Amino acid sequence: MTTASNLLAFLCLAITLLIVWRQSWPARLRLFAAQSLLLAILAGTIGVLAQRRALLLVAAVVVVVKVWAIPRVLARIGSGAPVRRIAPGRSSGIALLVAGALVVAAYVVMLPVTAAAELPTGSAIPLAFAMALIGLALCVTGRDALSHILGFLVFENGIFGLAILATYGLPSIVEAGVFLDVLVIVLIMEAVVVQVRREHASIDVDRLRELRG
Amino acid sequence: MMLLVVLAIPLVGAALLWRATNRLATTLHAVTAASTLAAALAVAVAVNAGETLVAFDGLLRADALSAWMIALIGIVSGLAASEAPRYVVPGGPRRFYPIFHLFVFTMLLAVSTDDVGLMWVAVEGTTLASVFLVNFERTRASLEASYKYLLICSVGIAIAFLGTVLVYFAGIQQFGDETHALRYTTLLRLAPGLSPRVIELAFVFLVVGYGTKAGLAPMHTWLPDAHSEAPAPVSALMSGVLLSVGVYAIVRFKPAVDAAAGPAFARGIMLVLGLLSIAVAAAFLWTSPNYKRALAYSSVEHIGLVCLGLGFGGPVGTAGALLHVANHALAKSTSFLLSGRIRSAYGSAEIASVRGVMKHMPRTGAAFLASILALAGLPPFGLFVSELMIFAAGFKQGFPLVAGLALLLLVIAFAGLLRAVHRILYGAPAREPVGEVAGWRSAVPVAAALGVLVLTGLAWPPGFGEALDRLVAIVSP
Repeated sequence: MTTASNLLAFLCLAITLLIVWRQSWPARLRLFAAQSLLLAILAGTIGVLAQRRALLLVAAVVVVVKVWAIPRVLARIGSGAPVRRIAPGRSSGIALLVAGALVVAAYVVMLPVTAAAELPTGSAIPLAFAMALIGLALCVTGRDALSHILGFLVFENGIFGLAILATYGLPSIVEAGVFLDVLVIVLIMEAVVVQVRREHASIDVDRLRELRG
Repeated sequence: MMLLVVLAIPLVGAALLWRATNRLATTLHAVTAASTLAAALAVAVAVNAGETLVAFDGLLRADALSAWMIALIGIVSGLAASEAPRYVVPGGPRRFYPIFHLFVFTMLLAVSTDDVGLMWVAVEGTTLASVFLVNFERTRASLEASYKYLLICSVGIAIAFLGTVLVYFAGIQQFGDETHALRYTTLLRLAPGLSPRVIELAFVFLVVGYGTKAGLAPMHTWLPDAHSEAPAPVSALMSGVLLSVGVYAIVRFKPAVDAAAGPAFARGIMLVLGLLSIAVAAAFLWTSPNYKRALAYSSVEHIGLVCLGLGFGGPVGTAGALLHVANHALAKSTSFLLSGRIRSAYGSAEIASVRGVMKHMPRTGAAFLASILALAGLPPFGLFVSELMIFAAGFKQGFPLVAGLALLLLVIAFAGLLRAVHRILYGAPAREPVGEVAGWRSAVPVAAALGVLVLTGLAWPPGFGEALDRLVAIVSP
């Protein structure tokens, strides 16, 4: 179980790094779907090995919501956007370095948690947390609405992974709330982005600069 | 049962209002708001008589602290609801009323559950419901504000979720029983045995997360935009009680954190964030070009003060902080409602283009001035008393430096707010305003709110002190 969870969590983190590296939107979207699928497999594996039926259900919901529904909505949002060229003066080298530093930071921050963890999946917790941190960084440094949403979703995936690894999943009422929440946020984002695009003919939130002071 | 009723009223109201239009909608809206207020006050009275309301195997639970918040949400939503019909014009964007009541429902749910997981879901629900209300006027600025609001608060609330996961992680290893491990009653009981390092880490995430919703600096950046661009009744709700719900979430975890990690840890965080919030607000109150924005920054200041009171602790500090939550809710929602009237009369929220409110809208102007003086912490209003309690606790508990610095910043903020308000209240307007909002019906809610503020400032009704004591017993046992 430890091996399996470590491997799957590591793969998820590797995909996060790939998302940082790739600059084209369709590629990032596919990577996000792949990452969510891996998370579903992680939940399913732990569900089988630890005999938690609830986790199998969670895995199924992840597949429906994060592998199927959300990427579809995101593709719809992104369909109007041109395939993103690398912005001048931005290379993924520095971003990857920062991501690497965040992985180290994740291990340091999560020390008390791994020390207290009793479940066999505990050793993979920092990997999930690193994923969350990198997602947060993507979200905060993103320049357009699409990178914001994607960063947020990666962040959310990381926290979700952490929850599974640390506790085998939260009570179902909370899990249900989380999924509903993510889905609604993405749908609202879509509505907002559509309206921004109508008004500004661009999804570059750099143009949203009216409110200052 | 009573708890179910108070939650059901806004939910049913929202459902009925979904398809309603025109007069029917206005009537239904009024009925829903009035019955929410009545039910909330009934809950407060029942709990104040010593009863803890419980439903669904303890999933819903209202102790004195919950009842305090429920009453506050009921009162402020009633106040905001009375002003709402002014903003819902026939033929304009629809669904204001149902989303308004949905928003009220999510806030009520957040403060009346024992389960910190469900509380998280409800707090997130407040963002999702209110984001539509912020963008209700569909201008470019309100669109930008709602985008910022949704993004920043979603990230913040996800960080709070991380904290909740860690609390669950710590609790489940002690407790085992999964359905009850997220109950704060359970957490408080287990707290002495929880891993202090994990709880400290969790509390940092929780404070950052719920602090974002509460508008604490440096996570406050969404707040001035959302509060200034939303229609006035929504600003009143957001500034008055939504921020308080964020504070409430932090307060719910604080006793368990104090028991697990010692009181110094949470205190340090609260004092730093409180001071920082007041400092940021003091600076921006001087530079803000828009009076609704100035009011929003004043909310950052007051939430910072509440945080300081909680950080100083002790019976006086805690009671002062919780009283300040209520006083601020009343004063700020009143001033937002009045600022909305000024805005619609002059057609602008810019300080530079509004002059002479006192001359052209004497009643609105006088009431606005009164609410601003209340916000500035002057007697005879309640904020004077609660600020006095907070600072007394600061000096008494041995933080004269923090308290002194906060006082200095408060004076700067006070001057900044008064300067802005002075400019719009007096002088000759470049353009004549449309006219005074007339009729006793628009005067009653404002007068009532100011009256209650004088009451909490001058003469506490019998039993009020005991009610505050009960809150203190919950927050710092």
